[in-house]
Amino acid sequence: MRGLRALVLGFCGAALVGCATAPSPEALAANDPYEATNRDVFALNRRLDRVFFLPTLKRYLWLPEGVRTGVHNVLRNLAAPTIFVNDLLQAQPGRAGQTAARFVINSSVGLGGIFDPASGAGLAYHGEDFGQTLAVWGVDEGPYLMLPFLGPGNPRDTAGLVMDTFVLDPTNYISFKQHIWWDAGRQYLNILDLRSQSFEALKGIERSSVDYYASLRNLYRQTRDAEIRNGAPAPDADLPDF
Amino acid sequence: MTKPISFARRAVILAALALPALVQPALAADPAETFVSQNIAKGLTLLNNKTLSKEQKRDQFEQFLLGLTDLKRIADFTLGQYRRTAPPADVAAFEGAFRDYAVAVYQSYFSKYAGQTLKILNTTQRAPTDYIVATQMIDPTDNSGRPPLEVDFRVRTDGPRPVVVDVSVAGVWISLEQRDQFVGFLGQNNGNVKLLISHLAELARQFKS
Repeated sequence: MRGLRALVLGFCGAALVGCATAPSPEALAANDPYEATNRDVFALNRRLDRVFFLPTLKRYLWLPEGVRTGVHNVLRNLAAPTIFVNDLLQAQPGRAGQTAARFVINSSVGLGGIFDPASGAGLAYHGEDFGQTLAVWGVDEGPYLMLPFLGPGNPRDTAGLVMDTFVLDPTNYISFKQHIWWDAGRQYLNILDLRSQSFEALKGIERSSVDYYASLRNLYRQTRDAEIRNGAPAPDADLPDF
Repeated sequence: MTKPISFARRAVILAALALPALVQPALAADPAETFVSQNIAKGLTLLNNKTLSKEQKRDQFEQFLLGLTDLKRIADFTLGQYRRTAPPADVAAFEGAFRDYAVAVYQSYFSKYAGQTLKILNTTQRAPTDYIVATQMIDPTDNSGRPPLEVDFRVRTDGPRPVVVDVSVAGVWISLEQRDQFVGFLGQNNGNVKLLISHLAELARQFKS
């Protein structure tokens, strides 16, 4: 307990020092005014990753690909109701219908989501979350944030994550004992699945980067923008002249 | 219930829809699309060539990349605001280091797509000499059902020959990412371009070994 308190106090202290330091012109230009703090949190996250995730991840990657694909499919299927609500909130009834049909097919024919026969039937997966919904509604992303445990983000996407996790996810409304273990286990598996999907790519990016933090910051922004546009090309104004 | 006549009608509609699609590549052939189509196929053939030694492949890939892209232009772009403030000698040294880095890193990246083919989807003309060619990498061995990787090429035709100035993989533009990375690094190191050059040289060396 003392260790945890020291960790929290240390993090708060680092955050206060970071906030007290005037942001550099580069940090302001990158919409990252808390860069000093964010870099400290990034270093903390990498340590946490080494302690909590990498050892399990290495064992997880030993599992046959079919097993990992099954876990990935189940997690995606569990997220379908949240995606469905966000499709509707973004006034995309066609995409909402697609998500609903995927959920019905994969939950039944796909044996609880282990298999993904819906994709084979032409109903391709797409993701949505409340952060994207807020973006579609015109909410600005706010400054870049590196969140402990969760990684890159911003106030808009963090609010979206809270909304998805605690309000829109229907499993919150199923009453059973020890619900917290279900939530914790599912979130841990989500992170493990995401890390396993991106493990090789991130290793390659880290290996070729002179500034891994700045690289991830940019990749997060560009990937989120592409998700918000549902894969449509970037507007002309977003592309620089060479 | 489907009536028998609807099949014939559907066939006519499909034929009408397919006809422009078949004709489109010929009509839409522009310098950027032709350039990407011919050169990327050449690059993939080079990477698939198992008769070449590691050194031969590296040399030929370097020639291929220099013919495909304008690395000096990309290097200057990735320096961001430091392009204006750094001494000209440092900028010239950076352009050389960036070239070595890009050849080493891109060869490593492109090697992952060996055995795949490129399918051109469409071309958007942003300005008279500025195009984006949208493509997909088709992996004939992939049975996962996942959609193919989308790769877009930004091509400028304002010079003596068309050149690629940026590539987007799954919605991420590589030069934009590199600019943020290099500017972030320089911001953390008092704008020391020489330090950036030494880091790039070290990364190029690691990728080559």
